[in-house]
Amino acid sequence: MIYEKNRRYIIPFDDVPADRAVMPEISVDERRGNFTEVETGFPEDVAVNEAKRCLSCRRCLGCALCWAECKPEAIDFGIKPREMELTFDEVVITRGQDNAFEKINAQLGFGNYADVITDLQFERMLSPTGPTDGLVVSPHNGEIPKKVAIIQGNVKGGDDHLLSSAVLGVNEAILAINRVNDLEVNLISPLCQAFKDKFSDDAKKVAGLTIIEATPESVERPQEGGPLTLTYSQNGGSKKDDFDMVVVLTKPKIAPEVAALGKKLNQDVI
Amino acid sequence: MEEKKVLIVGGGIEGVRAAAQKAGAGNHVTIVEKFPTLGAERIPRDRIVTPDNAFENPELDKVRNSPNVEILTYSDLKKATQNDGKVLAKISKKSLRVDNTKCNDCKACIKVCPVNMYDDFDEGFTFRTAVDYFNSTTGEYNIFKEDMPVCQRTCPVNLDIRTYVGQIADGKYLNALATIRGRLPLPGSIGRVCPHPCETACNRQYLDNPISICFLKRYVADVELAQNIEPAYKTPEKKHPEKIAIIGAGPSGLTCAYDLARMGYQNITIFEALPVPGGYLWVGIPEYRLPKKLLKREVDLIAAMGVEIKYNTRVGKDITMDQMRKDFDAVFIGAGCHRGLKLQCPGEDEYQGKGIVDCVTFLREQALGQLPPAKGKLIVIGGGNAAIDSARVGWRMGFDEVYILYRRTKKEMPANPWEIDAAEHEGVILQYLAAPVEILGDGNKVTGMKCIKMELGEPDASGRRRPVPMEGSEYTIDAEIIVPALSQGTDLAFLGENSDIAVNRWNTFDVDDETGMTNVPGVFAGGDVVTGADIAIRAVAGGKKAALGIDQYLRSR
Repeated sequence: MIYEKNRRYIIPFDDVPADRAVMPEISVDERRGNFTEVETGFPEDVAVNEAKRCLSCRRCLGCALCWAECKPEAIDFGIKPREMELTFDEVVITRGQDNAFEKINAQLGFGNYADVITDLQFERMLSPTGPTDGLVVSPHNGEIPKKVAIIQGNVKGGDDHLLSSAVLGVNEAILAINRVNDLEVNLISPLCQAFKDKFSDDAKKVAGLTIIEATPESVERPQEGGPLTLTYSQNGGSKKDDFDMVVVLTKPKIAPEVAALGKKLNQDVI
Repeated sequence: MEEKKVLIVGGGIEGVRAAAQKAGAGNHVTIVEKFPTLGAERIPRDRIVTPDNAFENPELDKVRNSPNVEILTYSDLKKATQNDGKVLAKISKKSLRVDNTKCNDCKACIKVCPVNMYDDFDEGFTFRTAVDYFNSTTGEYNIFKEDMPVCQRTCPVNLDIRTYVGQIADGKYLNALATIRGRLPLPGSIGRVCPHPCETACNRQYLDNPISICFLKRYVADVELAQNIEPAYKTPEKKHPEKIAIIGAGPSGLTCAYDLARMGYQNITIFEALPVPGGYLWVGIPEYRLPKKLLKREVDLIAAMGVEIKYNTRVGKDITMDQMRKDFDAVFIGAGCHRGLKLQCPGEDEYQGKGIVDCVTFLREQALGQLPPAKGKLIVIGGGNAAIDSARVGWRMGFDEVYILYRRTKKEMPANPWEIDAAEHEGVILQYLAAPVEILGDGNKVTGMKCIKMELGEPDASGRRRPVPMEGSEYTIDAEIIVPALSQGTDLAFLGENSDIAVNRWNTFDVDDETGMTNVPGVFAGGDVVTGADIAIRAVAGGKKAALGIDQYLRSR
């Protein structure tokens, strides 16, 4: 899915002031023993510059370029939404597709490094209908990775979570190995007993996958342009290894509005 | 078996599975999904796959092809209410704005679209254009346009932020102020005190820092003041005769009156127990954050629309609730949360009023000039904004030393971080991981407090780590005044005994989501008496909702 255009999200124009304006205040010495207003307000030029920083976000801008371009005249800005009032005997509330997840250990570099991605993002990457048509590429440099780590992001997420995320990790590894020749995948997670009992034997048969029972501690890129270094602790000791891409296993979370709906209708969310 | 109508909320893998199951059992199933496609093509988490069967989901085809399943993609469940064992659902299927029967998948629209946005379906992994398809095999082309920009959507009163910030950028300050007043009658006050959830949501934060929206609002309000412009709030020609009573001249009551006056109601009376308007804005927010003169002016502008404010009139004492309901066609309760909660520690009751003053009383008496001059040391207990306000007020009053005791650390403190920093900056002594054990006194007045050090243990239900006392770490601080600033509750004594207005277990009112009406027709409520102690702009939102509800109620009588 490559578009013939520069895929940048926000263009930092030179004439848009960059820094957020700071509210001027009276000094601490001037405050003692009186109730004079502390914040004195923006001067005019500061206010105008601050207002110019606004990105005027909206999604469709209504520029109608697509409408002008569409030969079959399929685009119609006037199509109205359909409002319905329906009555049901029963309601089933599910998590939906929001795919919210519990906070990941901040040391693992998610959000800092483009090539540290979530299991959900990796799933989209592996999907034939996904953004890369199923190709495995590092979002950091666009290259095909040779060595990938799949690591547990919530080591205290409970046994159920450790089990389902480890199975997902193994499955994602199988798919990735199938797509990339000679790909090496390490799955690094504290394993629960249920995983060892039910899935360990099958997982061991996957060529190219190594399962390491350990706790991931941190991910860093010591050298600009170099690989990611993962530190994990195993049997009281600390180990380091380099990877081209890191996938973090996440613990699913129910979105607050879905939870609120469940509470209101007295239903468990599945 | 009798056929049932089943609503499935969410079209992810769980939703599709449930739909297949329910439809298979002979029920009529409706799936409501936000995204433009069902999303059940997921990698399984309960079995090990082979590369060929990883994304297969037989249930998905079953659901797509079943005559018993109606799939509403790109749809929102707006409201669901339970009634008599049935569920009434309001569903809105959003407009795709693309007629997919005509679309020939040439992608020309995608090439020209200038808007790039994160693609939610691909987990924000890539960008999509505003017009795009969703999933190359199952998604329909759609033009994504939010109802409102994210700041406006986040603002409890949906202020048109993008418009007024744009007007400021163009130098049209008074137009910007008019835009704000279209929904908010207190721009100068809210522009000073609001903790601005809009800025927390602002998209600019992903580039560098959010826009300073709140202070820009204050700026335009200050421009009007500096230029000595007296705006007149217009009321329509056509007037409504009904009489409306409003309890409390706080942000919710004032906004309710403002909106009703703009709809043409001319018999609006606000009953205010205090001698001053503004509610918590006057007696809770200290002068150094919000000058009273400015607040008074904004209230005067509302009063000039023909709204009568009866000061020093406490409902339940000067006029009963029953009498009010007889005399007026509709009543709005915006009484707020003006009762400080207790510490529950030994010595507290004994020295109540003899050195122990809860934060609500402390701030109120200071604002009304009823406090004796500061002498000695002051201890404030708590970590919210009211605690910080009390401490900064005490510091200004001239107490020798001002302490804030909080049982967790700065990280867990619920107060706005910039307020905590300001207090520290001014010289307030913050003691984290400390809790009160006993109030000490000489029999007549408070002399100090015994405290204990805490450490953080395991997380509790709120996700914050629970503080645990450290044995043998007790210490004493000398103090003349101790201000517990734990939380604030409602005081509903004005309702009188045997009131038929239902009160829930939090001692607040349950009101209708859309109209703000209580269980009693004609009696409405909004602000902190509904939400519990909350921010001013949410109280404003409660007042606005009730104004619409009152109009609807009175016009349909």
